Amino acid sequence: MSMYGAEIDGPIALEGGKKSRKNLTDGRLRLVIVFLILAFFAIGGRMVVLGISQGTDQAKEIARSVAALARPTITDRNGRNLAMDILVPSLYASPRQIIDLDEAVEKLSAELPDIDREWLRDKLDGDEGFVWIKREMSPAAQERIFNLGIPGINFRTESKRYYPGRNIAAHVLGSVNVDNQGISGMERYLDSDEFAMVRLATGANPSDPVKLSIDLRVQYALQAELADALERYQAIAAAGVIIDVATGEVLALSSLPDYDPNIAASALEEGRFNRITAGTFELGSTFKTVTMAAALDSGVVVITDEFDAREPIRFGRYTIDDYRGKRRILTLPEVYKYSSNIGTIRVMQTLGKENYRAFLTRAGFDDPLAIELPETKLSSIPHEFSDVGAATASFGHGLSVTPLHMATAVAGFVNDGIMVPATLLMRTQSEANALGKRIISAETSAQIRYLMRLNALEGSGRRMNRIAEGYMVGGKTGTADKVVDGRYDTSKNFTAFASAFPMDNPKYAMVILVDEPKRENEQTGTTAGWNAGEITGRVVQRIAPALGIMPNFSEISEEALVPIVLRNLPEGN
Amino acid sequence: MIRGINVLLLITSIFALVGVYSIKFQSETIEEQKMELSRSIAQQQAELSVLQADWAFFSQPSYIAPIVERHGEALNLQILVADQYGSIEDIPMRPEIINDSALTALFAALDEGIDPIGDILAEGMGQ
Repeated sequence: MSMYGAEIDGPIALEGGKKSRKNLTDGRLRLVIVFLILAFFAIGGRMVVLGISQGTDQAKEIARSVAALARPTITDRNGRNLAMDILVPSLYASPRQIIDLDEAVEKLSAELPDIDREWLRDKLDGDEGFVWIKREMSPAAQERIFNLGIPGINFRTESKRYYPGRNIAAHVLGSVNVDNQGISGMERYLDSDEFAMVRLATGANPSDPVKLSIDLRVQYALQAELADALERYQAIAAAGVIIDVATGEVLALSSLPDYDPNIAASALEEGRFNRITAGTFELGSTFKTVTMAAALDSGVVVITDEFDAREPIRFGRYTIDDYRGKRRILTLPEVYKYSSNIGTIRVMQTLGKENYRAFLTRAGFDDPLAIELPETKLSSIPHEFSDVGAATASFGHGLSVTPLHMATAVAGFVNDGIMVPATLLMRTQSEANALGKRIISAETSAQIRYLMRLNALEGSGRRMNRIAEGYMVGGKTGTADKVVDGRYDTSKNFTAFASAFPMDNPKYAMVILVDEPKRENEQTGTTAGWNAGEITGRVVQRIAPALGIMPNFSEISEEALVPIVLRNLPEGN
Repeated sequence: MIRGINVLLLITSIFALVGVYSIKFQSETIEEQKMELSRSIAQQQAELSVLQADWAFFSQPSYIAPIVERHGEALNLQILVADQYGSIEDIPMRPEIINDSALTALFAALDEGIDPIGDILAEGMGQ
């Protein structure tokens, strides 16, 4: 201080220096405080942001992992579950943590009487960290064991695909593997990119239930009747499909023998493939409906035309004859009703084989099936028909198609000529209208309906009609000899019945097949009318009331469809 | 004055400390509750899925049909056939003329002072 006092005069300078230093310090302090406050707010704000955003991210992560694990529930068109995930607890133990082995074995075996006590003791005794005790137990049992409070005994929830109907609609649903991935049927389709796009377009969540077009009641009725047929006719296989003619929705699809999708391995056994979409067959005379539609729609042939069926037709070394032929000149409805091969060839020849081949393409027989199932097969039809090839094709031989191709075409024929591709998902009428394609004119459609109904009243569909009286079913039989070692074996039949009902306002089309049917008893036969036809009748009689179709015995509706003047009394057979 | 501010800051920070810790513990408790709730939701969903599976199984036509068959005879159940269906139009309208001659006669008798029902009752009492 004395040093300063000597140089600077008076205490003011000293005071000024102190003050200026104080001012400087205050300024710096203020700066630091402001900086600290800013930093505080910045950190505080950042924490708030982190707190909010992290929470939502986590929630999303959890939601995503849950969705990835679950498969959507599959329901029928009325919302009844066909396939679902069940979360089942499984019991495991950590033997390392078990304190009192005897007590644990005692208590557990009291709750799980089906587990061998020695086996359990062996499992629990040791130093392992993890052993399964029981997979997939009931929640009630879980609660009881949980309440025992044994240390080292724990549960783990596992997701398992469950098909409550077992064999019901097995070929439609398909199955999943141990990793819950679809390996066949709709289960496989649900995992496809195609279905992901459908979901995206409709804005549905991946875990939302998927509604199929299947009607459980109809599916059960069809399946029960087919099972009955296997026994009744001692057949090796029977299959059927029912579709809505206006929308193409498949209401029921069954192929027996089938399998239980709960036991996925059972699908691999021999002969259990889906005959409706993954099997192609020579559908025999059911193809005469196609030939008639082609001929009538071209305008070259009219319904009153007559065809000579007196002599068998020869093609070089082949001779084609009728089964129980009439040996006379037949009108077109008679050709259809008596299922005359000769008459049908003449009809096809009048039309021309190129036109006939073109019509098969138009009616969708060359297209791959539009259905969602991965198990489909392409038709096998020659690109160009030879004379004899066209002749046999006109009555359904020498070309093979899937039964679903036939059902879709028949649906188109009776649905005023508009064919809608088949689907297993729900479809509205307006969506169907956008997809529908005209294959024949509305007038031809009316004539086909007349022919099909006439055949039920007077032709090979009589036995079917007697069973399903009142529902105005119309249809055509088809009986083909099976090909064994490259030759037709006349002792083994393959029969089919392609039908639609009610014929005055067709709603549903159906195709039924039976592979190698035998006689039911001495009085019956093995042709399609006896088996595939009767099955159709029984199915219709069961499902029509469920589908809201009232029986109609009105002679007026019948007269409008098949005028009495056009009817004949059946001759003899 | 600085001391005053310091004391104030000290008190504030003590409060802040207490506040932050209480929030921490609160959030831990809530977290625990949340875990407990989501565990119970998961368990209930699992139980629900099993119950739904049970319902789907027991309401299957393939499960009910054999039961119906077994008890069909005792309950006299028969399959509905097509000609058993009717429509509203098939039901005849109520007959337009109601046969009420008996009632008219009764009222006429009552008007004349004779009470047939009363007489019958009286006769019954008398015997």
